[in-house]
Amino acid sequence: MGRPFRRIRAGIRVQLEAPERALLARLLDDVGGLLDEEATRRDGLPSGGGAPGGDPSDDVLAALEASLTMPPPEDPAIARLLPDGNRDDPELAAGYRRLTEHGLRERKRAGLGMAAEALSRDAPVVLTSDEVPALLKGLTDVRLVLAERLGLRTDEDVEELHRALTRANDPEDPRTAVAAIYDALTWWQESLIAVLR
Amino acid sequence: MSVAPAELEKTDVEPVTDPDVPWITLVWNDPVNLMSYVTYVFESYFGYPRSKAEKLMMDVHRRGRAVVSNGSRDEMERDTEAMHEYGLWATFQKDA
Repeated sequence: MGRPFRRIRAGIRVQLEAPERALLARLLDDVGGLLDEEATRRDGLPSGGGAPGGDPSDDVLAALEASLTMPPPEDPAIARLLPDGNRDDPELAAGYRRLTEHGLRERKRAGLGMAAEALSRDAPVVLTSDEVPALLKGLTDVRLVLAERLGLRTDEDVEELHRALTRANDPEDPRTAVAAIYDALTWWQESLIAVLR
Repeated sequence: MSVAPAELEKTDVEPVTDPDVPWITLVWNDPVNLMSYVTYVFESYFGYPRSKAEKLMMDVHRRGRAVVSNGSRDEMERDTEAMHEYGLWATFQKDA
């Protein structure tokens, strides 16, 4: 396997094989979709409110209430993408979330979409100066979600997972495939940073 | 963080904290973000020179967290938001 990325005059050329580009584009879209679902759940109004045809002022009030409470996301993977801004002061954390969550989520979704679209172009794919940071952040977001699904919370967890998978050597273990994809993404991200240096 | 960087240059870096400014942004260690990426983020977003970015990255890695900026509360909220956009685990607080 050659280098996944190469710097050329026009930008950064993606040298991943077509199936690898397709896999990566799909994962980027999947994480965008996860944020969409979260957005729907978030912006969806509390039960009883917001039925179509209802009094619009109820909708406004319900949306306002929802925005005032703003608990952290329930899915720990989403919570990792949109973390608390403070760990000790719930009021400060809620205020930060009110101020930033919507915009952060939208920018993440836009970036994930931009990176996925770029990778879906016909080869040779050459990333523009906007697409490079979008892909770097997108790779991070995908790895954060996969790591959460793999239960990786500390540096030691990562080593332990690899030891456990090597020891068990069980191709049926679903974690084996996820961990292999996670490792590939790690290598691709490391390579992309290296060509920017 | 994962993946060891190349040998780091020994440099004296001024501490980021200025006693006159009461809010700080912290970045916390996590098992996902690459050392090279964290350094890249500190250079790209804060405009820190490579040596300072690497020093802060190593503090995050070894000590579990580092103060990456200080200023007004609004500024620290902005920095925290930017770190979150990059996928780093950041918080802001009043400087103790």
